[in-house]
Amino acid sequence: MEFITVDGVTFHYEGDGEAPVTVLRGIDLTIRRGEFVALLGHNGSGKSTLARHFNAMLLPSGGRILVEGADTADDQKKLDIRRMVGMVLQNPDNQLVSTVVEEDVAFGPENLGLPPDEIRRRVDEALKTVGMYDYRLHSPDKLSGGQKQRVAIAGILAMEPACLVLDEPTAMLDPRGRKEVLDTVHRLNREQGMTVVLITHYMDEAAGAGRVVVMDDGEVLMDGTPREVFAQVEELRRVELDVPQPTELCYELRRTGVSLPPDILTAEECAEALYTLLSPQKPLC
Amino acid sequence: MLADITIGQYFPGNSVLHRMDPRVKLILTFVYIIAVFFPKNWLGLALATAYLIFSVCCSRLPLRLVWKSIRPILPLIMITSALNIFYSSKGVELFHWGFLRITSGGLITAAFIAVRILCLIAGSSLLTYTTSPTTLTDALERLLRPLKALHINVHELSMMMTIALRFIPTLIEETDKIMSAQKARGADMESGGLLQRIRALIPVLIPLFVSSFRRAYELATAMECRCYHGGDGRTRMKQLHMTQLDGWCLLSMILLIAGVVALNFLIPAVL
Repeated sequence: MEFITVDGVTFHYEGDGEAPVTVLRGIDLTIRRGEFVALLGHNGSGKSTLARHFNAMLLPSGGRILVEGADTADDQKKLDIRRMVGMVLQNPDNQLVSTVVEEDVAFGPENLGLPPDEIRRRVDEALKTVGMYDYRLHSPDKLSGGQKQRVAIAGILAMEPACLVLDEPTAMLDPRGRKEVLDTVHRLNREQGMTVVLITHYMDEAAGAGRVVVMDDGEVLMDGTPREVFAQVEELRRVELDVPQPTELCYELRRTGVSLPPDILTAEECAEALYTLLSPQKPLC
Repeated sequence: MLADITIGQYFPGNSVLHRMDPRVKLILTFVYIIAVFFPKNWLGLALATAYLIFSVCCSRLPLRLVWKSIRPILPLIMITSALNIFYSSKGVELFHWGFLRITSGGLITAAFIAVRILCLIAGSSLLTYTTSPTTLTDALERLLRPLKALHINVHELSMMMTIALRFIPTLIEETDKIMSAQKARGADMESGGLLQRIRALIPVLIPLFVSSFRRAYELATAMECRCYHGGDGRTRMKQLHMTQLDGWCLLSMILLIAGVVALNFLIPAVL
């Protein structure tokens, strides 16, 4: 079922008297309900710009975007679209508006004009979902980066969106914070069927997605399962992107004549393939 | 040093002061600040100070915090009261040198001023320590609602205040980081005269300004992403309720003012 439909979208910034800078050059993309999509691309590929179109923060210069059939250019539907498509940004410090965790989470539902009891219920539920309920009365300043980002996610969840768009949510976090945030997002996708669009430049994060979309220079370059996309190592390197480390290792080995499958993604698969290769007679036990 | 700044910070708790209606708390703090200027004798001043100390005890906040709020202001208090020593010419002359003259009246004025400023700072810190910025600005928004008639956007003003309070610790942390970074590159911030030190702050302030603008932009985006569209149609999770507790607090303030005024009549003024 289509959730977000991107239909021939172009976008350019109007400079003051300068030539407009084109960021998106005709994008067609469909995101279905319950999908986990990783959006990849190097800096300036237009991935963040595209993401900001999903919740009507930016409006396309050409083409259109439909969220559950509602056009993002329709001013009447703007708030509804922003509620449905929740967006989490990179720096958790710059997203939190209050000095108390629960009051910050309440900010979104308060803007929606919900009754106080309903806000209370949603805040508690959202904080429990991200595992930050025990910190509800803390000040965000005292939390770690991963915890702050989880609070930011709770703030979006309290609006009960159907889709989460995360714009490099782990870029400023340490490995532990990254894991906390990713585990939360994956759990939401798995258990609540939340549609997730994860913008990232960590290849291992993209490898865990159900679908990978690679962007380059304002266009969609590849679109497929992580296996399909990461098998195209040369093509990815051409647009200055890496592949997950196990994939890269197998790719380099294959180039020197070792026969390994081309679609290896995880360290476990890689180890298994190497094990089979090095002990051809013995079956795995 | 910077980490010691606690202005506008909130320390969560469940004390009597935490549970008070923020509107009442805001008004009482305001009234108290005016009231510390009423006493004209030592007993009255002691009563006003005792009221504050009692409130601090009620707040169950560590005394260290109250001290922290006062410490940065101490030099200011000292300068102000020192100047006041020479201001008054009442009382017995204790010291005379050229045009400088110290009288007993001057010393008393200085002491009164010092105690008043201390009470003022500690009292207003107590307000922000025990009230979360959101509720504080919520209260302010309600209290200033009549200004809407003058086409003043009260909601936006109070939202600005919330955000300013929220970002104080963040910006302090950032200042610390930038200072360390500039020191690592050989910037000298600890030596030289006043002018030189002020000049040394420029490479700290410029990056701080630039990053504040970036933060503001990002925050605006994040707020819009969370459906922020001004004050219209916005509801609140925490409703403000006045309880019996607020009544008692109000009564205590009335008693304080009555006490101070009565003492002014009963005991001769020392000022």
